[in-house]
Amino acid sequence: MTARDRILSAIRATLGPGKPPERIAAEAAALLEDPDAARPRLAAPELPEAFALKAAALGTTIDCIATLAEVPRAMARYLDAHGLPPRFAMQPVPELAALDWQGLAPHPAVAADEPAALGLALYGIAESGSLVIHSGPQNPILLSFLPLHHVVLLREATLLPYLEDYAARLAAQAIPRNAILITGPSGTTDIEGSYVRGAHGPGFLHVILIAG
Amino acid sequence: MNAPFKAPFKAPFKARAAAALADPVLKTAIDRTTGNAERKRAAALAAFPEFEAARARGQAIKDHVIAHLGHYLEMFERNATARGAQVHWAGDDAEARAIVTRICLAADARLVTRAKSMLGEEIGLPHALADAGIERVETDLAEHIIQLAGEAPSHIIWPAMHRTREQVAELFKTGHQPPPAAEDPATMVQSARRVLREKFLSADIGISGANFLVADTGATCTVTNEGNAELTTTPPRIHIVTAGIEKLVPSTAHALALLRLLVRSATGGEMTQYTTFHAGPKRPGDADGPEEMHIVLVDNGRTKMLADEFREMLRCIRCGACMNHCVVYRQIGGHAYGGTYPGPMGSVLTPVLDGLAASRDLPNACTMNGRCAEVCPVGIPIPTLLRAWRRRSWREGLEPGPVRAGIGLWAQLARRPRLYRLATRIGLPALRLFGKGGWISRLPLAGGWTDHRDLPRPAARSFMDQYRAQQKARK
Repeated sequence: MTARDRILSAIRATLGPGKPPERIAAEAAALLEDPDAARPRLAAPELPEAFALKAAALGTTIDCIATLAEVPRAMARYLDAHGLPPRFAMQPVPELAALDWQGLAPHPAVAADEPAALGLALYGIAESGSLVIHSGPQNPILLSFLPLHHVVLLREATLLPYLEDYAARLAAQAIPRNAILITGPSGTTDIEGSYVRGAHGPGFLHVILIAG
Repeated sequence: MNAPFKAPFKAPFKARAAAALADPVLKTAIDRTTGNAERKRAAALAAFPEFEAARARGQAIKDHVIAHLGHYLEMFERNATARGAQVHWAGDDAEARAIVTRICLAADARLVTRAKSMLGEEIGLPHALADAGIERVETDLAEHIIQLAGEAPSHIIWPAMHRTREQVAELFKTGHQPPPAAEDPATMVQSARRVLREKFLSADIGISGANFLVADTGATCTVTNEGNAELTTTPPRIHIVTAGIEKLVPSTAHALALLRLLVRSATGGEMTQYTTFHAGPKRPGDADGPEEMHIVLVDNGRTKMLADEFREMLRCIRCGACMNHCVVYRQIGGHAYGGTYPGPMGSVLTPVLDGLAASRDLPNACTMNGRCAEVCPVGIPIPTLLRAWRRRSWREGLEPGPVRAGIGLWAQLARRPRLYRLATRIGLPALRLFGKGGWISRLPLAGGWTDHRDLPRPAARSFMDQYRAQQKARK
C-alpha cells in the first residue's frame, strides 16, 4: 500500500464514504455567503481613496497622474527624489516600451542589485492596499523582488473593493504560475520585534496611480 | 514518528523550564516580542469589529475541510498535477525526509535555500539535508539567525525571538563577511540582505512550506513579510513544497478569508506584505520560475488526530497568538517545551508527534486560564484538548508513582464527602501550626510551592463547617 492509499483510507475509515461532490461544493460556497458580515469596511467610500489610505499606512508612496503618457515624467520625478540613476529595469511590455522615455534609460532584465524597477499591477485591492501581480511571459516575478525601489503602475479602473473580488477574477481566468498580492514594502520584525524595511524584497514601494 | 536525531527531551521539562526561568536575558527578549505582538493584535482587532463573525466563519471553513478531507486532498492532487506539479505523499516524518532528500540528490543539488516552514522543522528537514551533504541556507531573517546560532525555533512566527539584538550582533559579527558596520537592527538586516542575496540566485533548489493548499486550483500559498519566499521559489530549477494535509482550503476565496484572521492574529498586521500562490512549475514562455515543482503532502499523525479527540487541533492555522498570550510561554519561552511547536498549541501537538510518554509534562504546564482559546482565530478549545491529554496520561499510567499515589488518595477522599470533611477538620488545625501571621512560608513535603511563594494560612474552620454554622444560626 502506498502512503497515498494509507492516508486516504485512514481518512475514509474515520469519516466514512463522503458526500457527493456537488453537496460539498454547495456547502463550501455557503461558507462565503454574505461576505460583508465578516470583512472589514473600506477605509473610504471611493476605491482610489480607500486604496491610497491603506497603502500609505503601510509605507507605500503614491503619485496620482492622469494618463499613461505621463508615466515617464512621474518615474523621472521619483528617481530624482531618491537620488537614483536614470537607468532602471522595466517590465518588458509593449505599452511601456512605446512611451517616450526622454532622458531615462529603461532596460528589460533585472539585475541582482537593481536599484529600481518599474512594472504593471494587474489589479489593486482597496480593502488592503494590495497590488496584484501575475507571472507570465512578459512578467518576470523577480522584477518585483530584486530591486531596492519597486515602482508599480496601477490603473484606477483595475481597482477592486475586496479580497473576494480578486478571488472571483482569478477564478475566472487561466491560473498563472504565481499570483502575488503585494501589500507594502518588504519588512521584518525578526530582531526584537522592531520593524525594519527592505528585508529581502524592495525597501521602497511606490505606486503611480493612473486615473485615465 | 520518534525521530532519532531530534532528541528534544534530553533534559526533563522541569529542568529546562527552571533553566529558562533563571535566564534574565531570555525574559527580556520574550517580553519585548510577545508584548508587542499582544498590543498590535489588540489594535488590529479594535479596527475590525467583524472579527468575531470572521472567526466563526474561519472555524466553519476549517471544520468543513476537515469533514471532507479526503475529497479535498484528491481534488488538490488532481489540480496540482494538471498544472504540472508532482504530488508526493508521506505517511510520517521519515517518509517526508526521504522524498525531499531523494529529489535533491536526483537533481545533484549542492545548495538549497529554504523559506521558513514549521512543517519542515516538524519532519526534521534541516538535519536530513545536512546528512545528505547538501548545503542548506535559511532565508527568513529569524531562521538565518538561529541557523548561525545552531538552534531550533523558539516561536512559530518569530523563531529567533529568544535572542536580543546584542546577541544577534554577536552572531552576525562572525557569521557575515564582512561583518555588519553597526549593531542596530536596520544595519544588521541590510547585512543579512547582502549575504543572502547571493544564495538566492545560486541555489539549485528552493524549499518552502505552505500556509494554504488551494484545492480547486492546485496552488500552494506562502505568506511572508520579507519577500524571501518568492526569492527562494523563483530562481532555482526546482521548487519543493512540504505541507501538512490539514492546510487545505476549498478555494482562493476561502484562503483569503482565513488570511484576514491569520495575519491579524499573528503580527497585528492586516495583510502580509507578500501573499503568493504557486501553481505548478514555470509555464512555457514564462519569464522566470522553476522548471519543476514538487509538493509533499505530509500526514505525520494528522489522520490519527482526525480519528480521535484531537480533531479540532487540525483547524490550527499556525498564527502563534496562543503562545503570545500564554502566561507559561511568556515565562519560559519556546525552547523549554522541547518539541517543534511550543506554547499551548505545541503542548497539544507535541504528544501527537513525539509520544505522550516523552511529553506528558507539557499538557500539565498549563494554568487553564483559557487565554489561548480566547485569542485563537479558529476557536480551538486548547484547554479542553490539554485536559484530554492529562486524562489519557492518567489512563495510560504515565504519571510517576508518587503523583499517582497522591492523586489516588485525594480521589478516595473526594469521592467520600464525610471522610473528606473529617480529613479537613483534622488537617486544617495542623496546617495552621505552620503559619506565621497570615502566611505559611515553610511546609514539609510542599517545598516545591513554599520555596517560591507563601501559602495563605487557612481559616480555622472549613468552608463547609462555617456554612453549616451559619445556616444553623439563621434558623
